[in-house]
Amino acid sequence: MGIQEQYRSEAAALLSSGEVKLVIGFGPGSTADRRRPLFARTPEEAEKLVLDPACISNLTTYLVAGGLLSDGKKVAIFLKPDGIRSLNILVSECQVKPEQVVIFGYAIENNEIRPLSGRSIGDFAEIGSKIRTATPPPAVQKEAERLEAMSPAERFEFWKEQFSKCIKCYACRQACPMCYCRRCIVDVNQPQWVSTSSHTLGNFEWNLVRAFHLAGRCAACGACDRACPVNIPLRLINYRMGKEVKEAFDYHAGESSDQKPVLASFSQDDPETFIL
Amino acid sequence: MTRILPKNKLDDCIAAWQKAGYSVLAPVQRHDMSSFDEVQKASDMALDLILTERTIKDHFFPQTEPLIKYKISKHDIDSETMTPPDKKRIFFGVRPCDASGLAIDDPLFGWDYKDDYWFRRRNNSVIVTIACAEADDFCMCTSVKLSPDSTKGADVMLRPLASGNGWQIEAVSERGTALLDTVSPLLQESSDQAAPVPQVAEKFDVEKVMEWLADPANFESQFWKDISMRCIGCGSCTFLCPTCHCFDIQDEGDTYQGIRRKNWDSCSFALFTMHTSGHNPRNAQSTRWRQRIMHKFNYYQGKFGVNSCSGCGRCTRQCPVDMGITETLQAITNLPR
Amino acid sequence: MSESFEPKIVAFVCTYCTYAGADLAGTSRLKYAPNVRIVRLPCTGRISPMFILKALQKGADSVLVSGCHPGDCHFAAGNYHARRRWTVFRALLAFTGIPEERIRFSWVSAAEGAKFADLINEITEDTKKLGPFTQYQELQKVIETQSSY
Repeated sequence: MGIQEQYRSEAAALLSSGEVKLVIGFGPGSTADRRRPLFARTPEEAEKLVLDPACISNLTTYLVAGGLLSDGKKVAIFLKPDGIRSLNILVSECQVKPEQVVIFGYAIENNEIRPLSGRSIGDFAEIGSKIRTATPPPAVQKEAERLEAMSPAERFEFWKEQFSKCIKCYACRQACPMCYCRRCIVDVNQPQWVSTSSHTLGNFEWNLVRAFHLAGRCAACGACDRACPVNIPLRLINYRMGKEVKEAFDYHAGESSDQKPVLASFSQDDPETFIL
Repeated sequence: MTRILPKNKLDDCIAAWQKAGYSVLAPVQRHDMSSFDEVQKASDMALDLILTERTIKDHFFPQTEPLIKYKISKHDIDSETMTPPDKKRIFFGVRPCDASGLAIDDPLFGWDYKDDYWFRRRNNSVIVTIACAEADDFCMCTSVKLSPDSTKGADVMLRPLASGNGWQIEAVSERGTALLDTVSPLLQESSDQAAPVPQVAEKFDVEKVMEWLADPANFESQFWKDISMRCIGCGSCTFLCPTCHCFDIQDEGDTYQGIRRKNWDSCSFALFTMHTSGHNPRNAQSTRWRQRIMHKFNYYQGKFGVNSCSGCGRCTRQCPVDMGITETLQAITNLPR
Repeated sequence: MSESFEPKIVAFVCTYCTYAGADLAGTSRLKYAPNVRIVRLPCTGRISPMFILKALQKGADSVLVSGCHPGDCHFAAGNYHARRRWTVFRALLAFTGIPEERIRFSWVSAAEGAKFADLINEITEDTKKLGPFTQYQELQKVIETQSSY
């Protein structure tokens, strides 16, 4: 039995026994190479679940949307390592109770699906410990280094061009599992910190605020980058922020579900070389 | 025999139009994004794109637009109305769906109050539509009773030649005729055949859909909840739509001075209908998605006699969770009656 | 740049240490550059990165953020939290091409009036060398004009 069939029947069993109220997985998409999120509430619906190397999105976003888990019931979800990492962060930030989530873990390696053993977040400690030694995608690293080699003025020009494309559709925010604020700072208008207009200055504000709020909280799943309809390379900013917390505080977001959020904790001997 | 514009005369054409005082805008691929932007020569254009990621709507109804500059002093208020420049523009290589989008929005901006910002730009623009040579899986113009060679919204119609050497060219409006007069020496008579128009399959039955939407019993249907469950509530479908036209007026500035702006807004956002009291009449994503579909295929039809969708398929193409109008309308078509 | 360029510096300071330090500089009759505008806040932990962005946007040429020395925070740990935030925020600004030399961080205690005066003089001199911060102001100008089409 393939992993897809195995997970399907396990999901169906969880639903029919009533252990979980919902299974969040993938179903066929609108074209042959697309998969879309699928919500199965009955064993019959679970038969439509698909698991193959095209299942790349991070479904954790749905765990924190619309009070899904507020009734205390359990939900099963298909997650690959970056999703597990996001879940670790959500648990460490007290947004999700780990006992409410059943995980169908999988990894995509060489265009093939490999199951990950374990069903609850505690079973995936190994995934977390691998983050420390993982190397970032070479293309992202290379592009970030190219930017860092530029003069500040050139870098500003680069981001000015990129951010001028932004239309403030907030797809980056909505796709991100870490953007769970009930009311985002851009939706607050008293005071209006971030301009609602999507002119380049307003776009700068929004993109800097977004990046800063995700510093040390990003699981590098790439959901924001894929969601952006105007192709702003958000992966570069996220990568740079991740690198900063790693180098300055030896912090690896999503390493475990009981780590303290990096910007809500401190150490007395944090570096302060830049302080006069 | 038909008139053709040979490909190798396009540069001369652009030069002639520029000389006549026009800016020429065409599909371009710049900074990792395709959109309409000013071009100087034919090689700047990306005419092979099936569709640009951004629509030409951006150039008629910009994402943010200053309306009034104001200054409040102790005894009086100074204000200055800001209007778009009177600049003649040619949009070259517009796909029929995008051009139709403009025609669909015209009655909206002209109904009751005549929106000067829209019409000043509309009146200064000539739309040169290019018939599609290719379609992708998301195209759905035929489903909304348009076609890959529709002349709706066009002033000049181009049909690519089978040989790939140019386009059959035809004026379809007075403005178009005037435009072709400026370049008539560059056009040739030829018997070259136009390339076949791509087959775009009909994906849903729009009549059936409209009938279902018009039935008040379906307004509270469970269907809306099920179909929109995975919607994450971003605004990319509305902002990339060639016909979506909702906007918000915002004063940007401090106590004493600022600018009143017209900014795109999206019915996908919870904030769109949020009341000051905190009450939100559309308090779930399903009600917002329902609004989008109802607006396009029921309310707009009722008011202006046309559906507010030109079938470009961008809503599905760019959706982070693979939703879109096509899937919903397909599902409505297939509902048991 | 012209000789007469007088930079505008916005200083976000905590009320318990740096503000008291600035006060001491005044009562000690220390003379320092008049280019600074001080914004007093309860603690450096209260300083949101938005403050810094807004200051730059509204015409500041440099920004100073200053509070109690580590270990001296009136609220025990506000400055430790702030320190982490600045580290990350500085990296973000640098990566997006906003020169980090424009944002300065310091610890000034209530007893360090002279340090405060020296600091302001130093930042004023440095900012004069850097010239006006125009990147944001140019963007500000763009938003006041109609799109060119």
